[in-house]
Amino acid sequence: MAKKTVLLIDDEQSFLEPLSDALESEGYRILKARTAKEAFAFLETEHIDLVTIDIMMDPGNAWEGDVDSHKTGLYLCEEIRETWPNIDAFCISVVSDMKIIKQIESLGIRFLRKGETPLRTVLNMLRSRLTGIAYSTERDQKDLRGRS
Amino acid sequence: MSEAEITKLKLEIAGLKSENTQLREKIAGVEKGREEYLQNVSHQLVAPLNAMKWHIENLREARVSVTRAKKVLSSIYAQATIAVHLAKNFKLMSNLEADHALHKLKEPLQDVNLRSLLVNLVNDFQPLAWDKNIKIYVDDNRFDKEPSVLAMKPLISQVFSNIIENAVKYSDSDTNIQFRGQYLQASDSFSVSIINSGINLDPEHSSKVFDRGFRSAKAIQKYPAGTGFGLYIAKRIVEIHEGTIKASTDKRMVVFEVILPVKALEGKARLRG
Repeated sequence: MAKKTVLLIDDEQSFLEPLSDALESEGYRILKARTAKEAFAFLETEHIDLVTIDIMMDPGNAWEGDVDSHKTGLYLCEEIRETWPNIDAFCISVVSDMKIIKQIESLGIRFLRKGETPLRTVLNMLRSRLTGIAYSTERDQKDLRGRS
Repeated sequence: MSEAEITKLKLEIAGLKSENTQLREKIAGVEKGREEYLQNVSHQLVAPLNAMKWHIENLREARVSVTRAKKVLSSIYAQATIAVHLAKNFKLMSNLEADHALHKLKEPLQDVNLRSLLVNLVNDFQPLAWDKNIKIYVDDNRFDKEPSVLAMKPLISQVFSNIIENAVKYSDSDTNIQFRGQYLQASDSFSVSIINSGINLDPEHSSKVFDRGFRSAKAIQKYPAGTGFGLYIAKRIVEIHEGTIKASTDKRMVVFEVILPVKALEGKARLRG
């Protein structure tokens, strides 16, 4: 069976690297995009099973005209939901603006606080979505509750 | 009290009320700015620490190979460098905001060999720069070994680490950041140039980049997070040392030049002595 592919969209190498290491250790194929433009290039040409999206990042001329780079990920979420509705998506960001978070969650995209959510929890949630096997360890649930 | 006096008093009261409202609004504005600043500071400081935690978790859970572990350790080192650098900046920022005089910064003056200082800083920041395949180096052939300058070493170190951090952030991938240094006999001062290539400065921004909190639209587009304090701090410290700092650009090359007098603070050192 072919490896499942995860697209990580984040301009911060410091978070991209450990997340990529963790997913690779589980045998997933990882693609990395550091701008929205790079992300679209992958989305249009590769088979992707799951995508993680940062919010504050360089749009990299993905759209015409000026784009507020503080909301690049929000625009990405909207476009991914519209054009690639079958791709599972998570938003992993440090943004704490509840208005933006609610907009993202209203698209059916789960929001995880980057860095503050333990990597183990992030990994379990992504794995669960990729394998279709639900997980529910008490420890991870506690971690999630602890984030807010 | 006559009718006219009452009207006059009423007008005065109305004026005072309006003044009071304006002051309250001003205070609220300052308070909002302060809150945003503190939130930004806290985010900036927490981010590298959280990144370290994720890396450490991978090491602890043996999710990476031994070979890869070395690279992970290097990334942790880079994040620690950034965390320390930022913490120092915020400490300095509070000192500078209070407009402390030279003697209040309480750092001893000492002979600082800029070449050695920069070699150490380059070693510290290089792991961070490898993320973008950027090589930082002190150009041995274009850097005078002597003389040293009399300065507050931790502060001067922060000047250059701010410029390096800035250069790493805004340089294109696969490029170099180089340092050149020259003793200027005529003015008995030492000039250090930092040359990198990446986001070019608009000419009208070449002095604005040193303004407190200034970030150009291009910089925000590329890196939405940031305080715009690094170069402001650098300028303030250079000025405290009676030196100059300037930025210039040519196509995609950006040059920052810091000129520090070799002995300008000698008299002050004696006074503090």
